[in-house]
Amino acid sequence: MLHYLLSRIISLLLSLAVASLVIFFVIEIIPGDPASFMLGLNASPETVASLKAELGLDQTPLIRYFDWVSGLVVGDFGISYTYKVPISELVVDRIQVSLPLALYALLLSTAIAFPVGLIAASKRGGTADFGIMGFTQLGIAVPNFWFAMLLVLFFAINLRWFSAGGFSGWDAGFWYGIKSLTLPAIALALTQASILARVMRSALIDTLSQDYIRTARAKGLSQRRVLIKHALRNAMIPVLTILGLQFSFLLAGAIIIENVFFLPGLGRLIFQAIIQRDLIVVESVVMLMVFAVIVVNFLVDLTYAMVDPRLRRGG
Amino acid sequence: MTLLTVSGLNISINEEVILKDVEFTVDQGEVFGFVGESGSGKSMTALALMNLLPRGSDRTGQIILDGKNLIDLSEREMCSIRGRDIGMIFQEPMTALNPVMTIGNQVAETLIIHGGYSRSEAMTIAREKLARVEMPTNRFSPDLYPHEISGGQRQRVCIALAIALRPKILIADEPTTALDVSTQAQILDLLKLLVKEEQMSLLFITHDLAVIAKMADKVAVMQTGRIVEMETTRELFQDMKHDYSKKLFAASNYIPETKTKTRGVSFLEVREVYRAYKLPNKRILDKQNYNVAIRGVSFSISKGESLGLVGESGCGKSTLSRTILGLDPLQKGQITVDGVEVISGRKMPHSLRKKMQVVFQDPFGSFNPRHKVGRLVAEPFHLLEKSLSVSEQRERVITALLEVGLRETDVDKYIHEFSGGQRQRIAIARAMVIKPDLVILDEAVSALDVSIRAQILDLLNELQVQHNLSYLFISHDLTVVRAVTDRVLVMQGGKIIEEGRTDRIFDRPQHDYTKRLLQASPRIPAEWVKEETNQGYHTG
Repeated sequence: MLHYLLSRIISLLLSLAVASLVIFFVIEIIPGDPASFMLGLNASPETVASLKAELGLDQTPLIRYFDWVSGLVVGDFGISYTYKVPISELVVDRIQVSLPLALYALLLSTAIAFPVGLIAASKRGGTADFGIMGFTQLGIAVPNFWFAMLLVLFFAINLRWFSAGGFSGWDAGFWYGIKSLTLPAIALALTQASILARVMRSALIDTLSQDYIRTARAKGLSQRRVLIKHALRNAMIPVLTILGLQFSFLLAGAIIIENVFFLPGLGRLIFQAIIQRDLIVVESVVMLMVFAVIVVNFLVDLTYAMVDPRLRRGG
Repeated sequence: MTLLTVSGLNISINEEVILKDVEFTVDQGEVFGFVGESGSGKSMTALALMNLLPRGSDRTGQIILDGKNLIDLSEREMCSIRGRDIGMIFQEPMTALNPVMTIGNQVAETLIIHGGYSRSEAMTIAREKLARVEMPTNRFSPDLYPHEISGGQRQRVCIALAIALRPKILIADEPTTALDVSTQAQILDLLKLLVKEEQMSLLFITHDLAVIAKMADKVAVMQTGRIVEMETTRELFQDMKHDYSKKLFAASNYIPETKTKTRGVSFLEVREVYRAYKLPNKRILDKQNYNVAIRGVSFSISKGESLGLVGESGCGKSTLSRTILGLDPLQKGQITVDGVEVISGRKMPHSLRKKMQVVFQDPFGSFNPRHKVGRLVAEPFHLLEKSLSVSEQRERVITALLEVGLRETDVDKYIHEFSGGQRQRIAIARAMVIKPDLVILDEAVSALDVSIRAQILDLLNELQVQHNLSYLFISHDLTVVRAVTDRVLVMQGGKIIEEGRTDRIFDRPQHDYTKRLLQASPRIPAEWVKEETNQGYHTG
């Protein structure tokens, strides 16, 4: 187990190092100089040069890279060129929306996908399975922004159960915050739940044809009990993989949904920063997202070991 | 006293008749054997008793166990019969246990689901049952997972969970087919002992007549879903009435006619070969551990010779064949083929590779299912120095197919359209198509039914005489090795511990291990065998 853990940690650190290098130098070679962008077209070269010096842009890339990374490690992301505030403040503000939204959507998608996948697998070939496969196909095909607009039309405009957009912060109360995130979370969860349910179904069906399922049936376990006690855990590996990928996607990939619902999330922050050539914001937020993805994958790797003793105890 | 009466049992799956009018009775404490070739309906009979038949199957007739007709029972009632009144063990111990559950829990589960036991009580009994199958807790913790024990040990765990509630009858479906001879002998002895001591009945299914001779009190011979003959074991072997039984018996002891072979010059030379694998370290800074697969092995094969290689699983047989083929690098020693040294990896010259071909056990697994036979058999052509034109290739493929007894039209078929025996013929055709000098047969006939096996052995023999081939015949089946090889190597723990002419090794083994191996190999008692071994196999 220790061996496995250590190898996972080493791979985690290596991925982070490589990711930071790639992000920094890719942004480095992108045309567009933040200093001249900020000062406008008519600025004199001297003014641009002095702003560059102020921002530290006159240093060599290598030195700037190390400055940036050492800042990241202690939580100092630098100061945004356009907002003129520490990036960490911006990120903390935005993550209060994005992280709960991602977790909410993930919770919904899991809560839907698990039972649906189980039902489809246990009634394989039956009407329920047929219907579920059809619906999930539709769920994957429907673009989530369009589905989001339908939700707004029905639940916000017609029924007036939810607000059509915006987020007033958590100060107004927990349930109030949850309420304003519900429609976006449902819109995000639809596709994810459809994918997850299908993965769950096929992983379970695969597992149900294994020899040890027959052994369990020969012991006298009912079909239902075999499914829950023997098949589910063995089917978890592919499901966990997809779950990990989905969380990363939900955290970073909600840009469109954030726009539809007018939510001040990380996606919108990065979108605006790119338009305004606020490169240090882009760098830092992208790095943060990469960090989140890598950490989530690390946690998924650890859950594999919890699920599968062969990873935990050699073999 | 009669425990189980099966009468008029018919099964069809999606309208196709699988079993027809099967009738037999099993007495209490009796070992009842089923023999027959694959597809004869042995396993289906067992699954019918358990009502675990595949989807779409239809079952009629009567299965009376201890006065109760199982056919009338609901699925819910069947769940309480399975595991409590009928236990069952299967062929593949490697996959028969849940990989994410400890062995203790898997045995305890049988006790818990049938009620009456708390978890801790069930665990205590599970420990006793594991000890009962010679897996005592001081040596095998119940907290072990299946991947941490060997195949034979896994089969013991399967037996433990099947007998945990002392069922009235235990069904064993090919329980030792996947195990090597010594482990097989131990498991068979264990089953016999359990049947006697726990006063269970045993329904024993196998394709191996020698195993059935050792185990069963009464035997039913099955062919295409029917019982064609049923007798006490001794009477069956001494006086077979049905043609099919005779054919089966003949085929299982079949020895191809040996034609006089010209013993040529030495072709393959293996000298002091050594191969070890790195083992994963338990802790990071530990010294690197190695698993030595082959330690200092030397032997040679002459042109036209058949050399047998026998030993238990894990003794290094497969590693050895891989090093000869240049698929696995050597750490020490030298292998030469026709005087040229074998170097593993891409550096190995094609002219050398084309002298050696290999045929594996699983004929389906070694073909790409998306290619037609013509392309599959043509695969080795890239080893030739001169590339052949398409028509030349096709011609040679057809010649090879005809040579192994297939038809010209088979070129355009896919591999799933062939039976197991035909697939193995295709595998042989693929090996033969570039006219190699040495063919390594790695368990090449082990997965085949006896009558098909007899035909393949004949084919191999013919090809050998025609092309003056050398064979390295790797098998765990000692009967076959005895029948077809000139010399035998016995391997244990990566070393060759005995070597000699086949008849000498089998009649007068010197090494203790060889003696044990031969003893473990099941045999039909000599007084039961009559002189009619080589008859009747051809019509199969």
